[in-house]
Amino acid sequence: MSISLEDVFEKFPNRRREDMIPLLQAIQDKNGFLSEEMISSVGSYLRISVNKIYGVATFYDNFRFGPVGKYHIRLCHGTACHVAGAGTLLKELERILKISDGECDKQGIFSLEVVSCIGACGLAPLIEVNDMYHTNLNLQSLKELIKSLREKENSA
Amino acid sequence: MEFQIEVNNKHITVREGETLLAALRGHGIRIPTLCHMNRFSPTGACRLCAVEVEGKRDLVTSCSFPVEEGMKVKTNSRRVMQARKSLVELLLSNHPDDCLYCQRNGNCELQWLAEMMNVKERKYFGKKNTHYPDYSSTSVARDPAKCVLCSRCVRICEEVQLVTAIDFISRGNQTMVNSAFNKGLNISSCIHCGQCIQVCPTAALTDISHQEKVYAALDKKDVRVMFMISPSVAGSVAEAMGLKVKDQPMDIIAGALKRCGADKVFHLGVASDINISEEAGNLIAHIQNKENSLPLLSSCCPAWVRYVEEFRPEWITSLSKTKSPQQILSTLIKTQFAAEADIPMEQIFNVAVMPCVGKKYEASREENTHKGVSETDAVLTVRELLQLLRSSGIDIRNTEGEALDDPYVQSSAAAWKLGYSGGKAEAVARETYRMLGGKMDTFKFNTPKNIYGRKETKVTIGDHQIGFAWVSSISDAEEYMQQLLLDGRKDIHYVEVMACLNGCVGGGGQPVSRGFEQVIARKKLCAELEKNCAFQYPQDNPATAAFFKDNRFKPDQEITRNWIKTDFKERTVLK
Repeated sequence: MSISLEDVFEKFPNRRREDMIPLLQAIQDKNGFLSEEMISSVGSYLRISVNKIYGVATFYDNFRFGPVGKYHIRLCHGTACHVAGAGTLLKELERILKISDGECDKQGIFSLEVVSCIGACGLAPLIEVNDMYHTNLNLQSLKELIKSLREKENSA
Repeated sequence: MEFQIEVNNKHITVREGETLLAALRGHGIRIPTLCHMNRFSPTGACRLCAVEVEGKRDLVTSCSFPVEEGMKVKTNSRRVMQARKSLVELLLSNHPDDCLYCQRNGNCELQWLAEMMNVKERKYFGKKNTHYPDYSSTSVARDPAKCVLCSRCVRICEEVQLVTAIDFISRGNQTMVNSAFNKGLNISSCIHCGQCIQVCPTAALTDISHQEKVYAALDKKDVRVMFMISPSVAGSVAEAMGLKVKDQPMDIIAGALKRCGADKVFHLGVASDINISEEAGNLIAHIQNKENSLPLLSSCCPAWVRYVEEFRPEWITSLSKTKSPQQILSTLIKTQFAAEADIPMEQIFNVAVMPCVGKKYEASREENTHKGVSETDAVLTVRELLQLLRSSGIDIRNTEGEALDDPYVQSSAAAWKLGYSGGKAEAVARETYRMLGGKMDTFKFNTPKNIYGRKETKVTIGDHQIGFAWVSSISDAEEYMQQLLLDGRKDIHYVEVMACLNGCVGGGGQPVSRGFEQVIARKKLCAELEKNCAFQYPQDNPATAAFFKDNRFKPDQEITRNWIKTDFKERTVLK
């Protein structure tokens, strides 16, 4: 296993069944996603069947099973954003990034995730890039945003 | 306390604390269910057991609703019937309509429900899911497209067998029952008990069929097909086809298989006799060796063996190293019999007929294969045997019996006991008693009467007491062993474990959807058939005697290793 989970496990010394979801969240915060090895090691740590944990993790949209890019884009597709044109934004994002929902590009720079309402309906439509909200988007501003991120990445 | 409730305008007497479902069914009122399982806590997930209770706004699920004094229940009002029908129609909305090509055609709970609710047209057009079948396991096949998500397999796997090889993955209309990381059963923690097949209402869980292999072998001119019939299969076939004990079901099966082109039909009980003798020898050695802290654990059940290998590797050394009857007879046929009858080993095709799907897995175990070829070439379950006979147009009720073939022609009464929980312990107890010079007329083996749970008894030989215990299902076995270790008990020397509830009579290869009464009926038939035997004890069996008299073989001797000994090892799986 490439990443050590010992420090995460230390925060859950009681190995209780109810620690499962907080533990998975902590691992995802640290690693960006849940790998099969990580789920297996959570299983042996909490003494719960691996399949049970996998079942719980796949139930919740919040858990990811593949790596995310350097810029993780979460596109809100709640009701308000949908009405304000989130569908068009999604198509545009898929076109310029050449990835679809739940995927990460080959260079590991951008990843895209479509989420339900993230609670900023007054500012619809919006996307979230690495915990930063970009609001009241239209096709033009979206393109510019991606372009600026690309430039930032290229100059780095 | 008993009181009355009103059901469909009639009064019935019910017990306090009962669920409404149990009370209604107790009075012969038919209530459809899908997720309900006896002995399990109710989930109310399928909602098919809905009934109307006066004063309640919504329909209630009778499986999870306790009876109350004076309640008024309607089980067949228009509203109830309409609700149930809609539920079934919704279940059918994304179900593959391939009943004609389905393994459970005619024996499917979903079919029954659709018929019962009078569903005559497709009302809802759901998007069919695109789940792929999983044939990776050596014993259990899964087709999630046919799954109705009733959760019975998930619960039996988790709560009864403590394995959780399958669970609900994902959510909403994406939900499916699958193994860890959707990777297939072969690398999951599945122990091949097949209990999931037994509880599955549809064909989402079936066995890996060996029928085609057997048909192909029967067709080939230079291949000689040897059938081995497990004693308990005779009981199961008799139960399923309505044969009587006096009909000699074993002989009828032999006659029927001969008509299908079998070269020889052998009695697997011969190997059971050898197994019992050997295991009794093991037990005596095990007791004499003071280093053994655990009792000797039976190893006939491949699912139990697999469980120990996966989850309790520290118990492996306590497992009896004797091969299971299936593997003993397969070895004997391909070596002893082949040499005596002068048949090249390659021409022999061994087919075991078993009440078990785990035996399919056992046949493929590394220890039981040589250069990739298994000693047992195919294993048919009782289901497959009945199918084979049906396909071959053989009416088993009108088939003349035929004696089984030399040299593995008959078994002792003891061999018939291996089919049900407690039987093996008793057979080994008798044999141990006899080996230690006890007089058989003073032998006493008390069987506790409870149907479920752990049982133990003590056999007195001279001034020694040997403790025997037996459990069925992994959860009972685990609980019993943990308690044994916790109490540090030294008075139990032999523990028989069968992974299926009630032992092989409730096995994963038995006819499905038949209920608990059939399991008990099979057990009774086995116990009756035992009385047909010409002799009581394994050593009286000429075939067993011949095996052990050949001076090389004595129970529990090093030399018997290659023939009737096997080995176990720790397994790493996704658990």
